[in-house]
Amino acid sequence: MRDLAERLVAYETKANKSSRTKTLAAFLVGEKLRPDLAALMGSVGFRALLSRALALANAEVPWLRAVHVKADGSFEGLAELEAQVDPEEIFEGGIVLLAQLLGLLVAFIGEDLTLRLVREVWSKLSLDIR
Amino acid sequence: MKIGAAKRKQQKRVVSQPAKVTIRKLPTGVRGLDEILGGGIPEFSFNIIAGTPGCGKTTLAHQIVFANATARKRALYFTVLGEPALKMLRYQQQYSFFDQSMLGKAVRFINLSDVVLEKDLDAVLEEIVKEVTATNPGIVVVDSFRTVVRKAMAGASELEMQSFIQRLAQFLTSWEATSFLVGEYTVDEMRDNPLFTVADGLLWLSQVAERNSVVRKLQIYKLRGVASVPGLHTIRISDDGMQAFSRTLGLSHQKNKPKRRRRLSIGIPELDKMMGGGILEGDSLLVAGPSGAGKSALATQFIAEGLRHREPGIMAIFEERPQGYMDRAGDFGLNLKTSLEKGKLEVLYLRPLDLSVDETMREILDAVERVGAKRLVIDSLVGFEMALAPGFRTDFRESLYRMIAALTGAGVTILSTVEVEDKFTELSLSHYTISFLTDDIIRLRYVEIDGQLRKIMVVIKMRGGNHSKDIREYVITDKGVVVIHPRSTDYDGLTTGIPTRTGPRLAQKEETPPEPKAKK
Repeated sequence: MRDLAERLVAYETKANKSSRTKTLAAFLVGEKLRPDLAALMGSVGFRALLSRALALANAEVPWLRAVHVKADGSFEGLAELEAQVDPEEIFEGGIVLLAQLLGLLVAFIGEDLTLRLVREVWSKLSLDIR
Repeated sequence: MKIGAAKRKQQKRVVSQPAKVTIRKLPTGVRGLDEILGGGIPEFSFNIIAGTPGCGKTTLAHQIVFANATARKRALYFTVLGEPALKMLRYQQQYSFFDQSMLGKAVRFINLSDVVLEKDLDAVLEEIVKEVTATNPGIVVVDSFRTVVRKAMAGASELEMQSFIQRLAQFLTSWEATSFLVGEYTVDEMRDNPLFTVADGLLWLSQVAERNSVVRKLQIYKLRGVASVPGLHTIRISDDGMQAFSRTLGLSHQKNKPKRRRRLSIGIPELDKMMGGGILEGDSLLVAGPSGAGKSALATQFIAEGLRHREPGIMAIFEERPQGYMDRAGDFGLNLKTSLEKGKLEVLYLRPLDLSVDETMREILDAVERVGAKRLVIDSLVGFEMALAPGFRTDFRESLYRMIAALTGAGVTILSTVEVEDKFTELSLSHYTISFLTDDIIRLRYVEIDGQLRKIMVVIKMRGGNHSKDIREYVITDKGVVVIHPRSTDYDGLTTGIPTRTGPRLAQKEETPPEPKAKK
């Protein structure tokens, strides 16, 4: 799922080239996914899934422990992180987290349905990931 | 005369009335269910799919959704606090009807949990109205509606609840949506619940454990505007989703027996003669006899003779394996294999164990339809009944009667076998009250004669004509069942199995090699 995560991030950064956008690109992708996923599974369901993805990503990226998921499914603690962690590391950590989120979706509903959900948000993006 | 004229006038008035509204019926996508529903779900109806957990409510709702949703007339599936949407999609996509390509375009899942948890009934209705107005769907499902009600009842009065249901039903109908509220309810809850009063249709699913088997049932409590089939119908959930088995087996509109019926050969010339020229086309013949008497051999000859006359056949067997049948036929010089390969014969080896009688009957009916069968063998009724889950055995005779009546009505000739224990004092026919099942009965039995256990047969009954009263001895040779000797007048009490010699003792021949048996 890392490949898909990277492609979504690349697509988002291509549209918006500010350095801050690039640093937090993966988190922004997560934000863009939130309304559709919350519509499907409710904000409680989305929060639970994102929290699990965050917990899994923590194992690879320890500083992500400073990030939390709020009740509405948005992130908390990103601004503080930017002051403490190297932007490249934040960028990389974000991709790990996004890949975990997509991986969980694939585990639950399969690749086909996951890609369909992603296409709902990024309809112009080609998603032939294999 | 005056009365007649008035009647004619009245009839004319009726004819000239404007046409009634035609209620279009939507397919459910569930095999067998449309027939139970009287054609399908009435369009724009407001329905409840109710029942206990695990009986298939969500699967049924999904099947209806996928059978009807299109990109132009979409389906909205509201999920509420029941099965989490991710898990629902995870499990439902396992069914063959679940078309992933329809998601998003034709089928949309919307989670209402947050609204239900955080707000009141008005907000829930508002959210549904917003989505329905924006989407203009043909199908709307709320799953589970029970959780909406439960949450709402905590803070709302009964009147508010009733008002909410009324407004929801009116709105969905006005928007030309056919809607389904899915919920876990018990039968007791039906009383005094406004939901059940407002609903046009009430599909009730249940699941009952019967010893080691589980039986799922469906009942249409009500369905306004159409005549549904009353009673409990068996349902089964497999990889293809739900399948329903109407308790009438979908046989209520079968054509009648042909008026001029032919006599069909059983494949045993002497027996044909005993039956007045053969079995009447469209008759149900029962062959009753003890184990090893040759019932299956006779059945094989009956089918083979039909195939020889280009009459396709079905053999539904419940005891012996198909290979045993093939081998026996081969031993008798009967070639069933070619017909099997050409699709003119099907051997159904049915060991259902936990299948319902209706499902098993359906298998047989489907096979009859598939090959255009003119002859059917059921070998044996005892094996058939034993193969069913205990809970279904009570329905056995009723369903069997319905199937036999419908098939014979359509001109299929049926030979059923039944094993009966030979008693050496009387001639019993069967454990069953069978006369209502059969037009004709042939009884096979063992008799002790001259130090041998020999076999005799007698035609007990033929509803469609006269038959021989003779008791005839038969053997099973490499030609199959062969009737030998004319009736014997040298014995009394043959039917008891222990006859008394009244004539002279004939010289005894040396016994020829044993009768061939089918290979196992």
